Amino acid sequence: MKYTLILLLFFASFASISCDNDEWLERDPKNIITDEQLWNDPQLITSLLANYYDRLPTCHGVFNTGGMTEIDDAMWSGHFDQNWRNDFQYGYDYGRYWDYTFIRDINLALDNLDTFSTDIAESQKAQFRAELRFIRAFVYFELVKRMGGVPIVTEQLIYDFSGDPEYLQVPRAKEHEVYDFIYEELEAIKSDLVTNNGSQTRANRFTALALESRSMLYAASIAKYNNLMDTPITLPGGEVGIPAEMANSYYEKSIEASQKILQEGGYALYDENPDKGQNFYEMFMNKGSSEIIFAKDYTNSLKTHGFTFENIPRSLTEDNEYPSNLTPSLNLVESFDYLDGSEGSLNITDGSGNPVVYNDINGIFSNKDARLYGTVIYPGTNFKGAPVKMQAGVAVWADTDYELLASQELGANYTDGDLWTGADGPQDNTQFVSNTGFYVRKFLSDAPGASLRGVSSENWWPWFRLGEIYLNAAEAAFELNQLDVATTYVNEVRERAGFPENSIANLTLDQLRNERRTELAFEDHRYFDLKRWRIAHEIWDGDINSENAAVYSLFPYRIVRPGHPDHNKYLFRKFIPTRFRRARFFRLGNYYASIDQGVLNNNPKLVRNPFH
Amino acid sequence: MKTKYLYLLGLLLLGGFVSCELDNYDEPEALLEGRVVYEGQPLSVRTNSAEFELWQDGYALNEFIPVYIAQDGTYSASLFNGEYKLVRKGGDPWLPQLNDTIVIQVNGKTQQDVSVTPYFTISNENINISNNTLTATFDANKIVESSNLQEAVIVLGKRFLVDENIWDAISRFDADEISLDGESTLEMQIPEELRGLEYLFVRIGLKSNSTNEYIYTQSQRIEL
Repeated sequence: MKYTLILLLFFASFASISCDNDEWLERDPKNIITDEQLWNDPQLITSLLANYYDRLPTCHGVFNTGGMTEIDDAMWSGHFDQNWRNDFQYGYDYGRYWDYTFIRDINLALDNLDTFSTDIAESQKAQFRAELRFIRAFVYFELVKRMGGVPIVTEQLIYDFSGDPEYLQVPRAKEHEVYDFIYEELEAIKSDLVTNNGSQTRANRFTALALESRSMLYAASIAKYNNLMDTPITLPGGEVGIPAEMANSYYEKSIEASQKILQEGGYALYDENPDKGQNFYEMFMNKGSSEIIFAKDYTNSLKTHGFTFENIPRSLTEDNEYPSNLTPSLNLVESFDYLDGSEGSLNITDGSGNPVVYNDINGIFSNKDARLYGTVIYPGTNFKGAPVKMQAGVAVWADTDYELLASQELGANYTDGDLWTGADGPQDNTQFVSNTGFYVRKFLSDAPGASLRGVSSENWWPWFRLGEIYLNAAEAAFELNQLDVATTYVNEVRERAGFPENSIANLTLDQLRNERRTELAFEDHRYFDLKRWRIAHEIWDGDINSENAAVYSLFPYRIVRPGHPDHNKYLFRKFIPTRFRRARFFRLGNYYASIDQGVLNNNPKLVRNPFH
Repeated sequence: MKTKYLYLLGLLLLGGFVSCELDNYDEPEALLEGRVVYEGQPLSVRTNSAEFELWQDGYALNEFIPVYIAQDGTYSASLFNGEYKLVRKGGDPWLPQLNDTIVIQVNGKTQQDVSVTPYFTISNENINISNNTLTATFDANKIVESSNLQEAVIVLGKRFLVDENIWDAISRFDADEISLDGESTLEMQIPEELRGLEYLFVRIGLKSNSTNEYIYTQSQRIEL
């Protein structure tokens, strides 16, 4: 008993003296990473940057199948539910983008890097800071090309609870001020990015120059072409519209950046495969390709995309549903020149309106720019080593004329025992099979399982590649009256596409623009190119009979005319597909997207864009 | 058995009585309607293109109500009684007047013609057909001095709705074929596939270089 008492006293005294250490109770949380931890650990910062790189904005790019079908290069052949993509008018809010959440996240990260980073080297800090500022400049470029001048916010906006939020209401900058801001930012950071040189997925010095090359070209062409319009699109405060006299200095800035990349970058136009068409396709597929300056990467089991699943030709899909959504238009196919340099219209009918007969189903496409093969799957070609089975039907001779017959059943044989309608169509007014007679090849992965939802594709998305830089340089040179320089650049790009040396002797503006259309098809350029040249409202004029504004189809038919030399040869029919219901119609008010009314209500200092 | 149904009926009735509380808002019963006019004459536009904005102050949610203008230049909107502001915005074949709102008191059925300043107007139009050739004579009037004529069209359609985007036949004319003082005469051949019809609808359109919308004449039915 006495012993127990002593023991109890001993423990009581032990407890009363031992617990005077508050630090013992201070524990680092196991489920939260503190700012000090984050900003002093390069690996954690890199992982945060990965999130920001992933959020880089795009309009019709980054494998956005639906967006790609909303211009004149293609139409939607997928589910009927989404046929509005073939029957809509660009609303004034089309392309609206106002992501100040992202801007705020970047500004916050920049502040925290300065406040909390004490343990990492100054040079590495400078590189992280420069990468964040590159991403911010990229976002501002997306903002200015869609919305015009926007508020430039470079630090966090924090409310002081004084009852007057007026100091947080930042007005819109002038359009040219935003472009100037982008240029100054990129100039300031590019030397801090050299440590990333060689990386194709993180911003390095040449990525910054590539963004300079593109953004300065946009600023220059708006300065020039907006003021050549009958009534330039402007706002009195300069939020929209750039003075014409600024055009030349922007073109000079653009070409300077482009030439630095061409001369110092160590990139080269991808030219590995003697089959020029396949070469063009492989340029996007082979990661590490010497042409890609900056890409968004994907990898199986971690981060994949469904572009192949969504767009693979019907008979080649490994999945059980939803193939063949994005189908390129005849307009795009015809914009590819012939290799002899002549303009690319196809010979469908002869002078008197009779169909031209071809021995082979792909005969009509022979001697075309090899980039056509690399961009579009047309009848009589292969994909993944398998032939694409395209034939719309048979043309049966009925005394005076051909009668075009199509089978409801894909892959069926006609009464003569030969193919009637191919397993890949094309078929008019159906879903999940091409309605235009073409499928897309660019960006379509040929890896095993790429069209299977459980596996998906891992080919990457090129943000910037050397082909574009060549064309940027050519356009800037052309506008600066350096015609020789411009011609050399364009011809180099064309040589890679299978054209002979010096295929263009007298470069015209239209040729230059067409070159961009074909080389950069489906890479999120066409919509913005037409906008900055201020010809979008003329090209997409809403006229259903216009070759530019409406999407046309080209269907191949096998001739059934026993005893005649044309038997079992092919003829083609051009028409507007039934599912394409409304021509593309771009109004003057679409040059700048409207600002959301909620945003205008929150900040009375913002002015509306013209026509809205 | 019978009582069970009676109870059920009673329950349903009870439910019916207590659940029928009135909605706190009536449906909009007032109607604002009118025409778009210049000097008292109605203007005619492309269907689904021109629009006004209606605003009502005093509510937290500040959103405009789009008011679409029909092909013949009439518009209407179902509203609540109250004071509204109407804005003539840009992108239409008339001058935008963003800083010159029209205040409208809507009370029951309200008529309000909205006067605008079109870039061009068409007057004294006359359409004749002989030998499958359509001859249109009209006066093109320039209203806004700073604006220039860009293009004229004649559109033919089988149905009442016809404009630059919806048509069965169209003929385009350069600005230099149009006289701005005095009468202009334009001719177009009626395409063969339309010649067998009983009637067609015709409109003449003029486009100024300040906008991408045409100003039209009213859709006119002509017997073939």
